[in-house]
Amino acid sequence: MTSPTIGVQALRAMRNDRRRHRVADLEWFDSLYKVYITAFVGGTAILFLSGLAGDEPLTASQLSNLSAHTPHVIGLLAAIVVFLGLRSGANGGPIAVEEPEVRHVLLAPIDHGAVLRHPAIQRLRTFAFSGAMAGGIANQLLGRRVPDASANLVVFAFWGAIAGALLGMLFIIAALIVHGLGIARWLTTALATVLAGWQVAVTFGNTNIAGPFDTIGSISLWWLRNSYIDIVGVAAILILAAVAVLLAGRLSLEALSRRSSLVSQMKFAVTLQDIRTVVLLRRQLSQEHMRVKPWVKVPRALRRDVVVGRGFRSMAHFPLRRVIRMQLLTIAAAGALVAAWNGTTPAIVVAGILLFVVGLDAVEPLSQEVDQPNRTDALPFERGLLMTKHLFVPALFVVPFIFAGVVVAYIAEPHANTISYAFLLGIPALLGGVAGAAINAVKGAPDPAGGANQGLSLPPEVAGMTTMVRAIIPPAISVIACAPVMALRHGFESGTDMLGNTLRAIGGVVILLVLVAGWVRQRDAIHVWFRSAQNASKQSSTVKGN
Amino acid sequence: MVRTHTNVHTPVEHAALHVDDVSKTYGDAPALNPVTISIAKGERVALIGHNGSGKTTLIRIASGLLDTTTGGVKINGHEAGSLPARASLSFIADQPTFYDDLTLWEHLEYVARLHGIEEWEQPAADLLGHLGLYDRADDMPNRFSRGLKQKAAIALGFIRPFDVLLVDEPFVGLDASGKEALLELLASASEDGATVVVATHELSFVHTVERIIALRDGRLVYDGDTAGINVDGLVRTEDPAGEHDGERH
Repeated sequence: MTSPTIGVQALRAMRNDRRRHRVADLEWFDSLYKVYITAFVGGTAILFLSGLAGDEPLTASQLSNLSAHTPHVIGLLAAIVVFLGLRSGANGGPIAVEEPEVRHVLLAPIDHGAVLRHPAIQRLRTFAFSGAMAGGIANQLLGRRVPDASANLVVFAFWGAIAGALLGMLFIIAALIVHGLGIARWLTTALATVLAGWQVAVTFGNTNIAGPFDTIGSISLWWLRNSYIDIVGVAAILILAAVAVLLAGRLSLEALSRRSSLVSQMKFAVTLQDIRTVVLLRRQLSQEHMRVKPWVKVPRALRRDVVVGRGFRSMAHFPLRRVIRMQLLTIAAAGALVAAWNGTTPAIVVAGILLFVVGLDAVEPLSQEVDQPNRTDALPFERGLLMTKHLFVPALFVVPFIFAGVVVAYIAEPHANTISYAFLLGIPALLGGVAGAAINAVKGAPDPAGGANQGLSLPPEVAGMTTMVRAIIPPAISVIACAPVMALRHGFESGTDMLGNTLRAIGGVVILLVLVAGWVRQRDAIHVWFRSAQNASKQSSTVKGN
Repeated sequence: MVRTHTNVHTPVEHAALHVDDVSKTYGDAPALNPVTISIAKGERVALIGHNGSGKTTLIRIASGLLDTTTGGVKINGHEAGSLPARASLSFIADQPTFYDDLTLWEHLEYVARLHGIEEWEQPAADLLGHLGLYDRADDMPNRFSRGLKQKAAIALGFIRPFDVLLVDEPFVGLDASGKEALLELLASASEDGATVVVATHELSFVHTVERIIALRDGRLVYDGDTAGINVDGLVRTEDPAGEHDGERH
């Protein structure tokens, strides 16, 4: 009765039946609409990227640079992917099966490999395909800029697709191996850091040493030169893929059970652009729990105001990994701001989004309050006042993260002025991250007017656009708070007053931050006013009609 | 201090369920402190405890759904979660889950055949009849009410063969006829020689068991027979050893 093959036929038969059911139940019009939307969004993205890449031919020195650095740079991307994959595996990823599959199939006497290999291969296939698409498009865009290339664009796209597919597979391979072997999280993080550090060193250091993931970048250059050693790297990745699939049978039932419901909830939250829910579910997925024992006991003096004290207490329970993540994100944002200073203007978007994510963690006490509207509604004072007070501690909490960011800026730009300008730009940028996250949190609070937009009868297109704008505003605030670096750059490039330019831009950011705080304070009143104005307008038009 | 009765220390080799120094923590929060329990083949046990006492954690660890932080569990001498352990253990969870796209009848077929049972139709019909679900066999269990879902989960737990039955809060949401049907199924399983462990506060079941295991705050506070103790009081207070001093921990 305990043969691993018992039930496998039933499993296969039922999977086939369910697939048939799904195909039979498919809404073809809906599917075609999804294809249309995907094609539209994909096409727009490609056009946008084409615009960024430009068409002007590369010079001989640029081509030589490309040949020399592409393996390292793409390798760095692969190192980041592997880092994320290893972490995902340590947190129970990358597979998510249905909860009933865990209960009824994985608790049955069936070889887990027979059940889990299929979703593992599906995941590998999906990531390989997505990577191949991205790599193919990127290399094809590059091909347009290579003068007198002997290869045609299809060859460029082919090698790009191969590199992209390998890169995508690496995420799943890393996650499956770590999860399947049950490697401890600390060891995984250490391994991931060593690999990433090695690749960073060969990318930015002046060295002839190869990085661990250079092969992938090198493959993308096969339109230019064939480095046969790359085949060894590709073979190693394919062997690891096979090992990873074989290890799928050893995935932890606890992790699968935990992920099964969380992943589907997370996908749903993403479709609703519900960032708070995504944050909470992501924490559950990675088992990021608040510390039971606080780091420090919050002194009585800091607890004089009950709301502020509650904020400090929340921070005192933050897990170490969250604090480290916030610090790493701040460091990455500092790097992006340095890139913006050096001429890569879109990097301020990257910096803004990274600091927005830092803010999402920092405004935890505020978000917790919003998560429990019944409690705030029962308080004998205005919700706006409570929420405004909740801004104080997160704003204070994020400031110390700036020191590591300043160090990064100084390493990249070792000038005397760097430190002062880094502080000057970094503090409003960090506060902008908190402001954006605060808007994101507060807009999830209940509407005191019972839905200020009710009765407006917006057409679906307009309603969709409104939802989109509401989703974009919070990170946009964070991005705007990073913009003073552009004023500094402009001052430097035009030889005008750098400090004056920067301070004026920071003044604008400060006004924005004050406006955000004011909105948090007066949001309920604004909604009530808007609703009553709307009702008054309706009544007046009814009277006129009579 | 844990009070135990004389028959509790079942030799490991004869134990249907052996929990050896098992603990579980989530982050830095302990859910179960090291617990050692042996349950003999054919024994009928009630697992009781306050909310958060660790009952569900212990049952899920034994079923193989949760990993242990320390220690291990053996089912009929096989490591929990291993293939032979899964073959001999049936687990009915407190939160029933079903596929969205299968009817109850299809669920029963699937689960039975996954366990190698090809002659499943008559037992399935009998089970559904016993639980009052026969007329709902062609409905989607995911759309059932809480009580009907519980009955469907019970049917799935009993359609397959088992030597050890672990059940977590099975009486919650059941009507009187459902409770009666479940008690009969549990009694029948015991008569057939199965080991039955049920986490519950349902007195009608607790009165039928030979042994009670009580947990509090993740610790074993009582493991003994029902003779000479006030079972009703035990279930109500879940503090048989008198350890609950009313202080905040």
